[in-house]
Amino acid sequence: MAATSPPLPSSFQNRKKIFSNFTSSKPFSILSSDKKCSRFWCQIKSFENQPPNWSVEFLSGTEPIHLIQNSPSSSMSMAAASASDSAVKTVKKVCLFYCAETKALAERIAAESDAIEIRSINWRTFEDGFPNLFIPNAHGIRGQHVAFLASFSSPGVIFEQLSVIYALPKLFISSFTLVLPFFPTGTSERMEDEGDVATAFTLARILSNIPTSRGGPTSLVTFDIHALQERFYFGDNILPCFESGIPLLKNRLQQLPDSDNISIAFPDDGAWKRFHKQLQHFPTIVCNKVRIGDQRIVRIKEGEAAGRHVVIVDDLVQSGGTLIECQRVLAANGAAKISAYVTHGIFPNRSWQRFECDNGGHPENGLTYFWITDSCPQTVKAVMSKPPFEILSLAGSIAAALQI
Amino acid sequence: MENNNNMGELKAQNQNKKQVRLFYCMECEELAAKVAAQSQLITLQSINWRNFDDGFPNLFINNAHDIRGQHVAFLASFSSPSVIFEQLSVIYNLPRLFVASFTLVLPFFPTGSFERMEEEGDVATAFTMARILSNIPISRGGPTSLVIYDIHALQERFYFGDHVLPLFETGIPLLKQRLHQLPDAEKIVVAFPDDGAWKRFHKLLDHFPMVICTKVREGDKRIVRLKEGNPAGCHVVIVDDLVQSGGTLIECQKVLVAHGAAKVSAYVTHGVFPKRSWERFTPKNDEGSEKGFAFFWITDSCPHTVKAIGNRAPFEVLSLAGSIADALQI
Repeated sequence: MAATSPPLPSSFQNRKKIFSNFTSSKPFSILSSDKKCSRFWCQIKSFENQPPNWSVEFLSGTEPIHLIQNSPSSSMSMAAASASDSAVKTVKKVCLFYCAETKALAERIAAESDAIEIRSINWRTFEDGFPNLFIPNAHGIRGQHVAFLASFSSPGVIFEQLSVIYALPKLFISSFTLVLPFFPTGTSERMEDEGDVATAFTLARILSNIPTSRGGPTSLVTFDIHALQERFYFGDNILPCFESGIPLLKNRLQQLPDSDNISIAFPDDGAWKRFHKQLQHFPTIVCNKVRIGDQRIVRIKEGEAAGRHVVIVDDLVQSGGTLIECQRVLAANGAAKISAYVTHGIFPNRSWQRFECDNGGHPENGLTYFWITDSCPQTVKAVMSKPPFEILSLAGSIAAALQI
Repeated sequence: MENNNNMGELKAQNQNKKQVRLFYCMECEELAAKVAAQSQLITLQSINWRNFDDGFPNLFINNAHDIRGQHVAFLASFSSPSVIFEQLSVIYNLPRLFVASFTLVLPFFPTGSFERMEEEGDVATAFTMARILSNIPISRGGPTSLVIYDIHALQERFYFGDHVLPLFETGIPLLKQRLHQLPDAEKIVVAFPDDGAWKRFHKLLDHFPMVICTKVREGDKRIVRLKEGNPAGCHVVIVDDLVQSGGTLIECQKVLVAHGAAKVSAYVTHGVFPKRSWERFTPKNDEGSEKGFAFFWITDSCPHTVKAIGNRAPFEVLSLAGSIADALQI
């Protein structure tokens, strides 16, 4: 029976076609001597005597990539190539639990894949304010892969979610994944003096202590963690999986009419370190803060803004001060349009209100686009449908990560 | 000769005493001050408790270098889930500052009171709390000592892992001391509102006559009945570990009065009283004290309640300060 063939994604049309017609009735391997090209496009036209559920694994060195069920919405598919043997695995069915804040994102994730099923929890409180929680149909998750979509938007919501996170792995599930799109606490603090209390360490420790399930250590999926060294805060009982929202930005930029006039600006060296490798095919501008007397002023360190649509890229935004200063410097240096992307729109105290929309010609006053992901659900609610804000959803990326 | 012996004894006693640096959360400032007042060996230390704009804590432990090689303690109070994370950050940090030993004093261990693991799917938040505390980093002094008063479920002691040494204390000695001071000390009878309370406390109070109540199901309702003992003509003191809405205590009091109790008082270690439920116990307008409780003793384990109640009758606060100061010497 032939699988329906989806149209080739445009990003792959220039790639080398290895073969155009291939039929097999059993698991197959493809050997390739092309070591540079690590991705292959393969359309499987017919697969006799096999159920429609299939996935194909590509192994290169130690990096496995799983192919999800071929669906029109997936923008990337990879074929299997293996020197030894290749297994045909079925897609993992995942039971996805979530907290009140993340319900909308959880529903989007479940919509991405038939393999992901939403599950509910009864979140109530006792009179004394402590949580009164119940996981309905707990027997039904035995032997299943289970995930929990968390959001620690404030210290007050941590304990109730933690209680669920500590309870789920012990219910005879086959694996546990914690998806925490935004890892808070890591942002403002510096350990400068003995006496500084690193709350990022506290949070990493709490998460490293999640009980082991039958599937081994918990996987922790988080996006664009603020300080790269924070990955080392986690103990051995947890497997952090550090993802990024940048691919979503790249997709969005390609859709813009002026996609060939885009330059990426980094507000400081930290942002450059975090992101330049993922964005190296764009011209870049790097800013930095220079001390002049008592003040710290943002300057352009390298790169050209004149006439360009400049997109400022950073992992998160708090008060927005840094972005606004960058915007001013870029406008003063002749940028035609200015947009911004941050993975995490924290915006405490509604600081998103500082950002106006530029409908054409006034980059010093406003932004053309301000992209954020849906990692911070409270902000998403507030800025949805308010130009210049656009939400790029992590749902697809999370759905894929759940298959790891 | 005698002097020498006495000096020897004193010296031996002093050698067992340790100097303790006591940190505390904001809620516990008063109790910490009282603890430090109990002994010259205990000195108060301070922490800067601030918040970043995003609501997460911005904490600084003052004079962190000075606590190297010292015995350190932290007086915590988890009165609501939102204050846990900031205190936990300090608790996880202090042991790593080269202290000689670390003790966490958490007078009231919350979460343990309402829940029952009856079905698979019930989430035991007491387990979560115990797990979080069991994960306190080890200091040079070994596992952290964890001082808790009148933990609700006796089996909760087994929830703790190997890196903490739970020290289960009780407020009952404070009650006994107070009862001895009463003019009608001979006519006191202790009452337990249910079998759970009896299991927890009867051994500590066995020189008092006892009354045990129980809840009996009648149709859809559950009614408090007297199971054993005779309160007639006596000053009955209902003893339990904690009070929430107060419903149980009020029903017990009615049953005891119906069986002839002359006066009824109550003692709980932890006056949790969510949503100001302590107001049910203060006399309204011209209600005589025969209708209510003669005394209602609580400890200062729940600082918000202590503050709210102030000096109002029939409440009296028995302070844990002395007991905590002693526990810090262990």
